[in-house]
Amino acid sequence: MDGTEEIYWGVDCGSSEIKVVALDGQGNILLKRKKKTLFPLQDHVRQALTGEDLTPFSSDVSGDIKAGHKIIATGYGRKYISFAHDALTEIKAHFIGVQKQCDLKDAYSIIDIGGQDSKVIAARNNKVDQFVINRKCAAGTGAYIEELGHRLEVPLKDMTELARNNDKALSLNSFCTVFSGQEVIKTLMNGERIENIIYALYSSVVKRVMEMTAITTDIVVFSGGVLEFHPELVNMFARKLEENNANITCILSPNAQYCGAIGAAEYGFKSSE
Amino acid sequence: MSNVMKEYFLDLDRAAKDPARKVAWCTSVGPAEILRAMGFEVFFPENHGAMLGATRVCMETIPVANAHGYSPEICSYLTSDIGAYIKGITPLTKAFGIEEIPRPDVLVYNTNQCKDVMHWFEYYASEFSAPIFGIHPPTNLPEIKPEYIDDVARQFEALIHFLEPVIGHPMNRESLKTTVALSLEATNLWSEVLNLAQAVPSPMTFFDSTIYMGPIVVLRGTEIAVKYYKDLLGELKEKIQENHAAVPEENKRIYWDGMPVWGRLRDQSNIFKENKACVVASTYCNSWIFSDFDPEDPLPSMARAYIKIFINRNDQYKEDYIERMVRDFKIDGVIFMAARTCPNNSNSSYNLPRKLKDKGIPTIIIDGDLCDLRCYSDEQSTTLIEAFLETI
Repeated sequence: MDGTEEIYWGVDCGSSEIKVVALDGQGNILLKRKKKTLFPLQDHVRQALTGEDLTPFSSDVSGDIKAGHKIIATGYGRKYISFAHDALTEIKAHFIGVQKQCDLKDAYSIIDIGGQDSKVIAARNNKVDQFVINRKCAAGTGAYIEELGHRLEVPLKDMTELARNNDKALSLNSFCTVFSGQEVIKTLMNGERIENIIYALYSSVVKRVMEMTAITTDIVVFSGGVLEFHPELVNMFARKLEENNANITCILSPNAQYCGAIGAAEYGFKSSE
Repeated sequence: MSNVMKEYFLDLDRAAKDPARKVAWCTSVGPAEILRAMGFEVFFPENHGAMLGATRVCMETIPVANAHGYSPEICSYLTSDIGAYIKGITPLTKAFGIEEIPRPDVLVYNTNQCKDVMHWFEYYASEFSAPIFGIHPPTNLPEIKPEYIDDVARQFEALIHFLEPVIGHPMNRESLKTTVALSLEATNLWSEVLNLAQAVPSPMTFFDSTIYMGPIVVLRGTEIAVKYYKDLLGELKEKIQENHAAVPEENKRIYWDGMPVWGRLRDQSNIFKENKACVVASTYCNSWIFSDFDPEDPLPSMARAYIKIFINRNDQYKEDYIERMVRDFKIDGVIFMAARTCPNNSNSSYNLPRKLKDKGIPTIIIDGDLCDLRCYSDEQSTTLIEAFLETI
């Protein structure tokens, strides 16, 4: 590239946060950044990309993209970033992100829980073989956890500890976030402990995801911000998966929240090879 | 095309206002040939439902029907249409300057597709105090047995006896033969048109076909439909000779099962085009191929043709049918549209996508609806389609 610095940017434009990753010319991760998803989206994506250490823009935040810098978008906002060089779906981006970081040769599944959807991806022979996304409703997604956490006035960071201190395996039945909220309130009115309610909430997320498809691989990788920040939820998934398959290996991907952005950047890097 | 449909609707409007002419309402896969042969002008409420969907006027009218006791979970053609009637609007006004839908002198339905049409037509029979007749064939058939054909042919005969007092004279049986012959010719031409999409690259997409199919739905049994499909066939053959691709640089070929999402035809067409994928064949557009029509044996052949349709068959038939289409049209993947309000026309609920996948045919399910966009997520559907195209 005529001595020009090569940088590959991945932007995962999700419903809650914009995640940004930069790779150098050898594919090494140089930086990770995130900011809240706000609007106008493009302005906030530009801000997320701009940092004192490294920026893809030639002058200020509104400038052109520097020579040698390539930006690949993913996530629900991928089509709204007009200055991106290319875009790919979050299904492919998460797969590439996991593939790059976890060095898995054999068949494996990825469970990704994002802000507004959950995905289960089956990878075989170094490609996406099959995938499903949650249908119709928020239950089983980050939005579901956030909404009920808000109604219970429990900060998200406290949820894991509370769930671990449950003394009862309560469950929530509804597919619907609003109806689940009603179930929670009724249970609280009956004097139930908050720890048991949070456990039930996590348990409901596990059930909603596990009923999306039958996981048939012996390796499951967890990706996405929700699973990174709710470790007890990962443990509950692992226990549930072990019930069906004693040989299962569960892995939380490195940089789980950034898997999509890393996958997008890696896609740009590989495309240039 | 627009002229053909415009003339059809304008003539229906004239017929409705002329006391000497009779209008019959008929389900889209109902015995239109009998009605035409008896001199009725035929209106198809499902076609009106599709127009309400395509114009997205349904989003104003479905809630009206819901508020009047028609559940959001039932056929959204029905709720779109009944809501429009209650609200006193029709897309025919903006499209053709027609003030209202044509008032029926008689209503005839066939439950070969679903039972919702029965509830739908009964509503209007009551509203217009018009006579109504239902054909109730055997459903969900693994095979077509002679007794099924006898049963339905007898119901058609009973329909003729029911209609004769409405027109005031016996039916001319020669006229029925002529009408069935015209229907057969049109449906064979329609089949030829659809099969042209076997060409690589395809000269047409499923989204084009949902427009091309208008005359085979509303004008079968007429010379107009025959001429329309002869002309269309000629145009498309020319395109193939010129190697014209409906989707430039077509590199993936897709089969669409289930209903179209009428209010999102253009958006979905663009998604596929951007990804160089062509939806070349569909269950839906093929549903108006009735090759069994026989002018020399009109009622039994109509009975066979109308119970043999895909939607009225068992799962094994459907699986075999889609496999055959995949082979004949060189399909790379199958999209199942799961319509929230049309379970009969959604084939993803009983494991069919997984069975095909196990046979090496990639499949994906998209949630949506024929009309009700409250059941459809643009973002999620786009991601599903694009990720599917990335994968295959």
